[in-house]
Amino acid sequence: MASISTLQVLPFPLSHLVSKHRTPSLLLKLRPEFGSRNGELSWAGRLISSQRFLLRAIDGSVSSSAGQDQSLRNDGVVKSKNKNGINLKDTVGELHGIISSFSPVVYSMRQRVGSNLAIGLCIVAAFFVIALRVYAVRKSKYNRPGSVADLVRRGQLRSDRRGISQPLKYDDPFNNPLVKVGKGNSTVEMCGKVYRLAPVTLTEEQQAVHQKRRSRAYQWKRPTIFLKEGESIPPDVDPDTVRWIPANHPFATTAGDIDEDLAQNNVYQKRGVPFRIQAEHEALQREQKLNRLVMDSSNDSDFVKAFKSGPKSPEHGEESPINNQAGNSKPLLSECGPNSFGIMSPSEETHD
Amino acid sequence: MLSLQLPTVINTKPSSSSSSFLTNTNPFKPKTLKPNPSSPFTVRSVLQYNRKPQLSGDTPRVVVITSGKGGVGKTTTTANVGLSLARLGFSVVAIDADVGLRNLDLLLGLENRVNYTVVEVLNGDCRLDQALVRDKRWSNFELLCISKPRSKLPMGFGGKALVWVVDALKARQEGCPDFILIDCPAGIDAGFITAITPANEAVLVTTPDITSLRDADRVIGLLECDGIRDIKMMVNRVRTDMIKGEDMMSVLDVQEMLGLALLGMIPEDTEVIRSTNRGYPLVLNRPPTLAGLAFEQAAWRLVEQDSMKAVMVEEEPKKKRGFFSFFG
Repeated sequence: MASISTLQVLPFPLSHLVSKHRTPSLLLKLRPEFGSRNGELSWAGRLISSQRFLLRAIDGSVSSSAGQDQSLRNDGVVKSKNKNGINLKDTVGELHGIISSFSPVVYSMRQRVGSNLAIGLCIVAAFFVIALRVYAVRKSKYNRPGSVADLVRRGQLRSDRRGISQPLKYDDPFNNPLVKVGKGNSTVEMCGKVYRLAPVTLTEEQQAVHQKRRSRAYQWKRPTIFLKEGESIPPDVDPDTVRWIPANHPFATTAGDIDEDLAQNNVYQKRGVPFRIQAEHEALQREQKLNRLVMDSSNDSDFVKAFKSGPKSPEHGEESPINNQAGNSKPLLSECGPNSFGIMSPSEETHD
Repeated sequence: MLSLQLPTVINTKPSSSSSSFLTNTNPFKPKTLKPNPSSPFTVRSVLQYNRKPQLSGDTPRVVVITSGKGGVGKTTTTANVGLSLARLGFSVVAIDADVGLRNLDLLLGLENRVNYTVVEVLNGDCRLDQALVRDKRWSNFELLCISKPRSKLPMGFGGKALVWVVDALKARQEGCPDFILIDCPAGIDAGFITAITPANEAVLVTTPDITSLRDADRVIGLLECDGIRDIKMMVNRVRTDMIKGEDMMSVLDVQEMLGLALLGMIPEDTEVIRSTNRGYPLVLNRPPTLAGLAFEQAAWRLVEQDSMKAVMVEEEPKKKRGFFSFFG
């Protein structure tokens, strides 16, 4: 039987355990006795030893081989007793006492809880790893630079309007779940509130009456000319159509700065470089061109001078074009004057 | 579309009930509408599903949004109606014609994108298409500012410049815009004259208080003198609870005083301030707010050149339900 064999096998690991766990000397004494009388054990001594043995086995939380099912082991003990035909009454009672003094159920439960906990932990860990993996994959997918999700995250694209294949949802303000008309058409429910409706009773005649009243009350001519306060009225202008504007009004400044026709052309310009930008660019180019010419001419003269006067120090030769450019640039710029468009270049504006 | 029609009222003689306010000699005397549940009017409600508003009139429809008095909601109306029109599928150019005090860019959340204005276009620093700021939310909506806050517009051709701008927009390559909305500055000064110059029609924004109504009446008079006959009004910041308590004029009272067709009625809504702070117009809010819905409906009517046939007067008390309501 398994129980007996375990009993027979037990001594070896037990000795190991005993040495390992420093069991008391009583148990150590039993060991040779247990081994020598292999088959013929006196049950009184044996019983004691088994009692101790079991006690130690439970307390020491033996390995899985030693820790067999407690009930099976007890059965084995009982059966072996029956075989030997020893007085059982006392021993059974004692055995009952031993058994009842311990809680084998607790032992088995403890063992089972431990193993279950380990399995559960493994499962949880596996799930955690899977979830982590899925999350990492998804994150890498959404973080892909240049993707639509990336554009949405960066605020370049609205998430609710993604994809041009989907047409924009058209919201009908009257076909809205938040607008409901009552059965009698005398009420309307908007945003959860019910309002009573009243009909508009304005007629065209009433409108005409109001128009007449206003035309009598407000005699007005559209102002055709805006003049600053203090300016004289031109001779061909109706004084009623003059709008007097205070001198500090935004309209009252920069009056003659820009030509009207030119402004109109600017507004009508559809493509190309805007007028002022182009003018400034051309002026700048012209200036650069003149500067280049000046530089070239100065270089030539230096070369001629140097050739005529013979070899000189190299420092003088390097410095001369700079000095000449600085000296010649001023009169040439003054010769250039304002450009043909009447617009000052940025450098001139800053000087002024 | 919800079109609350009253076919017997328009183009007919006023009924006995409506003739009472015609005899009122003082047009500025507020007359609060008293609810009369036994009145025999019938309001026909037509819900038209799944269709866009039909654009009526010649394009571009140049609409100036004006008020006379400041702070009544011109710029808010321009932003919300403009974006509503864009959402309805029409191409819109909104021009902020307030020379010194522009705010439309802030309401639209485009303040950081305005590099060039009409002044730069006139000076030749940029082309007109470069000065137009396209809204990223609705690409058929564009903003054009007339000037930067500190720059100064040439005095001589303020109005002419806007006419040129409108002409240039008509002739542009992408096609003529359907709507050009001009946000008019407050007052009846040079800025007002400039703003109304290219306009064919006007939307008058007013609040139901007498100061605003007096200015509005004067502005309507000037617009009519200038030849703009198609004027509709939009009553802003209406509080139905105050109307019920007779502390505020009803929209019908306002209409009676000004004698204009109603384009919309915008209830007071705290969301307006929030949306202004965010630079995100109300009509783009999800879910839509009460004021946002009202702006959308006003935009719909503007497209169809329609007007309101019935107005919300007051909030109806909630019906009592349950066991005890049976006993009254």
